[in-house]
Amino acid sequence: MLFNTLIFFVFLAIVLLFYYTKFLNWTGKKRMLLLASYVFYGLWNPPLILLLWISTFVDWTVGNKLSKETNSMVRKQWLLLSMFVNLGFLAFFKYGNFLIENFVSFVNMFDVQYHPFEMDIILPMGISFYTFQTMSYTIDIYRKKTTPAKSFLDFALYVTFFPQLVAGPIVRAKDLITQFYEPKKATVQQFLWGSFLLTLGLFQKVVLADGMLAETADTVFNSTNLLHFTDAWVGTLAFSGQIFFDFAGYSTCAIGIALMLGIILPDNFKYPYGAIGFSDLWRRWHISLSSWLKDYLYIPLGGNRHGITRMYVALMLTMLLGGLWHGAAWTFVFWGFLHGMYLIVERLLKNVITIKINAWNGILLAFITFTFVNFTWVFFRAQSFDTAWNMLTSMLFMQPEGMKVVESFDVYKVLGLIGVLFLTHWFMRDTSVKEVSQKIHPVVFGIIWAILFFFITIAQSSGEQFIYFQF
Amino acid sequence: MAVLAVVGLGAWELYWRAQGFTADIDDDKNLWSWQRSALDKASKDDIALLGSSRVLFDIQLDAFEKQTGKKPIMLACAGSSPLPVLKDIVEQTDFKGTLIIGVTPTLFFSTTFPQASPWKRPQTRIDYFYDRTYAQRLNYMVSFELQQQFAMLSANEEQWSNDIDFKALLRNIQMEPRTEGPKKPPFYNFSEIDRDRNTKMLPRVYQDTAFANSIIKVWGFFGKNAPPPDKNSTMDFFLDYAKQYTDRGGKIILVRCPSEGGFRMGEKMVTPRAEFWDELVQKTGFPAYHFEDYLQLQYPCPEWSHLNAEDAYAFTTELTKLIQLDGYLTNSKTE
Repeated sequence: MLFNTLIFFVFLAIVLLFYYTKFLNWTGKKRMLLLASYVFYGLWNPPLILLLWISTFVDWTVGNKLSKETNSMVRKQWLLLSMFVNLGFLAFFKYGNFLIENFVSFVNMFDVQYHPFEMDIILPMGISFYTFQTMSYTIDIYRKKTTPAKSFLDFALYVTFFPQLVAGPIVRAKDLITQFYEPKKATVQQFLWGSFLLTLGLFQKVVLADGMLAETADTVFNSTNLLHFTDAWVGTLAFSGQIFFDFAGYSTCAIGIALMLGIILPDNFKYPYGAIGFSDLWRRWHISLSSWLKDYLYIPLGGNRHGITRMYVALMLTMLLGGLWHGAAWTFVFWGFLHGMYLIVERLLKNVITIKINAWNGILLAFITFTFVNFTWVFFRAQSFDTAWNMLTSMLFMQPEGMKVVESFDVYKVLGLIGVLFLTHWFMRDTSVKEVSQKIHPVVFGIIWAILFFFITIAQSSGEQFIYFQF
Repeated sequence: MAVLAVVGLGAWELYWRAQGFTADIDDDKNLWSWQRSALDKASKDDIALLGSSRVLFDIQLDAFEKQTGKKPIMLACAGSSPLPVLKDIVEQTDFKGTLIIGVTPTLFFSTTFPQASPWKRPQTRIDYFYDRTYAQRLNYMVSFELQQQFAMLSANEEQWSNDIDFKALLRNIQMEPRTEGPKKPPFYNFSEIDRDRNTKMLPRVYQDTAFANSIIKVWGFFGKNAPPPDKNSTMDFFLDYAKQYTDRGGKIILVRCPSEGGFRMGEKMVTPRAEFWDELVQKTGFPAYHFEDYLQLQYPCPEWSHLNAEDAYAFTTELTKLIQLDGYLTNSKTE
């Protein structure tokens, strides 16, 4: 089920009704939330709930065994079982076809003709998110950083909690399971703020991402011609905005819906396009994934504890795998490679250049960072390297002869909106929507909220899928 | 906030109603899928209609039902070839009823290339029918009810020039042209559809000549920019799938609905009857009804390609009478 559909609001109204009625005790409410979460997921593809159940059962069992077992060898084996099941699901469902295609290409290089059995594998929605979430549970128990959930119900709800099930934020066990131990109820303030966040998230998705940017990005990236440099830039900027509004919109909705239930989820975005440098960017973009990769990949790979060379290798490997996490294609790996290179170059430069950041050079550095980020989005969005190279050629070599595929109004629309987006991120980089909302008059806030709602309604979402659902 | 939002949306609704918009249903992949799902439960006595917009406009389901006692399943799609739908019925269903296939020669014989518009349009709906989730089905039930209540909810897959959803309003802001290539003239919605996909021409088409001319301009644009027909591959494709269908006991009836003016002239030039329609009928041996052959099937087309609702009712009545007289359809009410 998608947040940007009417049926979701019927679903949410029913959930809230049961959640706030008095005839259910806290355990009953949690059971209801768990059932609702399975319905939320199952209305997409019912049989794939089985995967959720298997992940839940295996990691619940492993977590309990790890907490009791003292033999380090046996503990390691239990952890390996959890990783084998979770990564096995990912490998089969997400990377199965990719691995086969690459294997076939590889053996073909040696004139070996191999024709594999064709598999029509469905990518289960949100598999990358919930497998990472459950893996963090078992790894944290293995590292003795957290304790097992008090009950199977709490753990199952942690894995399946519908607001963040299919596209995060990826929440750590200690941050979410513990919230299920005591009865939760949103205060009036929390409920209203949660409703506002849901509205804001939908506005970002339905009006800005789908309504204003998606068509332009699609037109440009679906073109097979060498484009005029304006069109290539406009298409890339449109995608840059689209993916932010789409994903940040989802996260904002998720945080808002959870808050309406009295559950607090962490921020996933903090104005990433206002970032100064790439380390800063990754502290602001998809925060729950970056911190997951840092804690469970970068640091285990050595982090910065084994010298500079090893640190750069760890950094690059983390970014390459981070790229691959987004999709089973070499273009995603290259996207990760570019970010890895940016981070390495940034660290090298920091060793030789020290810049005292002020408002003037800060916005310039943020703009440079944003510009470099846009080059990476080309590989993220393009269906093939050919398309990506065409786009980069047009963007860098100012192709005046290239084809024009974007109309004048769309050029102004995209440049205007992305300009506003960049400036908003720059000016908001050290604050939050909540802080700003507290500074403005409640009437003005109400008018802004009504305007957001008005535009969502007239945009008439046909329920376009969120981009990150495919990851 | 809630009051402001309700006032704003109320004003928006009233504004569009004052502009002449009314609450209507969108002809989209969801509505088509409802009809398509009816085919899975249909019996040998049922009838399905395939084709392009001429079948949608010209065959009125209530007239058809009155004459035959059976309401047909409407699977025609505007601007499309019926071949992908025929392929889907042959390969994915065990339906053995009667298929009435509308032959608009420039679309029927246009292509078998999956990415070409006349193929892609119905194929997108077929794919959606199989891929739609339970959430999408439930969502459409809610959406369908709202579409019938509010004029402001009028987003359409066709992307009419007078759509009033946010994207359409932005799309219709015109500035100096920047892209090359021919520009499609404004194309305004000129029909209304109901739950069973029965389609009627809006009265404005035959009451307002300028409006009718705006549609005629669009036919001219399509005519100038359409690739030449691909007779051999479309004919072979149809013969193959039609044979598979009739071999399992199904019946096929071909219908050529009226056209006139410049549209008909274009059809005569690009897809002359003797080389296309007559050859198709001769090769298949199916019962076939061309409007030129029957005085009672000849009605004026206000925008050269479709009948107004009243004439469409009469056309359907006469067409079904002809088919019944030939013994290819019976009246289930009187059997």
